[in-house]
Amino acid sequence: MPRKFFFKSILLTMLLTLAAVSSLGQSTTGTVSMSATVSKFVEINSGGAVTLTGNSGGGVTTDGVANSPLAVAINLGELGPSNTNSFVTASVPLKLRSNAAYVLSMTATVTSSGTTSSRIGAADIGFGLGTVSRTGLGVNAGSDTNATSGDPTLAANGSVNGTTGRYEFTAVRSNLSAFSSATTALSGPIIMNAVPRSNANGLTAPAMFAVKPQFFENGTTTVSVTFTVTAP
Amino acid sequence: MRLRRVTFSLLVIPICLAFARTTSAQALDISSGGQPTITGAVGGSVTGTSDVATDLVVTINFGEVSPLNTNSIVKVTVPFALRSNQPYQVSVSMSGLNNANGQAVQASDIGFGIANPRLLGGAGKICTQSNHVIRSPFNNDPALTATVGSNGRVSYQSSLGNLSGSTVVLSGPELSKNNSIKRQQSDGWIFDAVFTLTPQFFASGVSSATLIFSISAGPNVPC
Repeated sequence: MPRKFFFKSILLTMLLTLAAVSSLGQSTTGTVSMSATVSKFVEINSGGAVTLTGNSGGGVTTDGVANSPLAVAINLGELGPSNTNSFVTASVPLKLRSNAAYVLSMTATVTSSGTTSSRIGAADIGFGLGTVSRTGLGVNAGSDTNATSGDPTLAANGSVNGTTGRYEFTAVRSNLSAFSSATTALSGPIIMNAVPRSNANGLTAPAMFAVKPQFFENGTTTVSVTFTVTAP
Repeated sequence: MRLRRVTFSLLVIPICLAFARTTSAQALDISSGGQPTITGAVGGSVTGTSDVATDLVVTINFGEVSPLNTNSIVKVTVPFALRSNQPYQVSVSMSGLNNANGQAVQASDIGFGIANPRLLGGAGKICTQSNHVIRSPFNNDPALTATVGSNGRVSYQSSLGNLSGSTVVLSGPELSKNNSIKRQQSDGWIFDAVFTLTPQFFASGVSSATLIFSISAGPNVPC
């Protein structure tokens, strides 16, 4: 029994010694493991300066600055019959960038000081996205779906109502009443190839707003439009 | 009698094994060269140890490398220590990082270079007849060689894309003055392995890779 114990002790000591030598010993290999995460990314910025035409009075209060956050304020001026232009239009350039498929939605609210049905309402403000452009180094070629009818001033997108005499934007999603809640205006595949954020290119599209000067009830009207881009 | 023989064998075999291991191990060794560091990361980290007597086992998490990370570059520096009593070479092999989508992170998107050789303490050997040679194109700090290519994507003088199989990145004369059977705190050379990844509009997803650094007998150069 003592002999067994002795040999077991020797063996245990050897094992411990081996383990110790191993831990103090040297190695001819080392390991570096690495990982990285790429989350979906989308952004909307201004695509440049606003263009306002057909206005009588008014002007661009806060202009767009390319590649800066979109925060534009426009005074459309006089929208009564004293403005003899056929339309007052504002074109707001948008720039979108993403590393994933995207959806651009829009929500609009229209408030007027008028009290009758002749006041300016959401349906009186034409809207559409113009030509969508994917150009420049690092921009992925892709086909986008414009859910609006484009330039609201096109003859195909509106006309005088034969019964009421009021000018109406009649095409699909051609006026702000279609955007009383978040509604898709544009969607498409990944916009940017693997390029750094410092690359300023992206997808551009003009957001076009139009009002036909008419015998609206006098007063003031405020329109607020919010664009939101997401990566579903 | 039989018990004695068995016992004797059990004693001798481990001793031989231990002797063999220490004899072969003392010639060439790679270990941690100090605490790894990371800069420019969002949600990233690097693990390792400052103990130069510890095996080189480092885990890098570059974190977020989409444009959500607004830093210009994520840089990780991994010091590794080498010891040898003979000419050596260090090779690196990579596994993983097999993204089929060309817009996802590729091996060429991760800059990789070797830089900043320095003595590990007073027992590191200074040879006058041969230099430690960082093989081209890896002799650079990729954070300093990052450029935007003609396709708009960031590229580096050297990257993980330059690894093909087991690729020799470094070689030179013996590194240690002594012949210790175990790692010392001051008996070799330290080099920095530098890894970089520039946040870009990569396709979304998680990418991972594993690098094995190996030291072996190198070209027979004089000290």
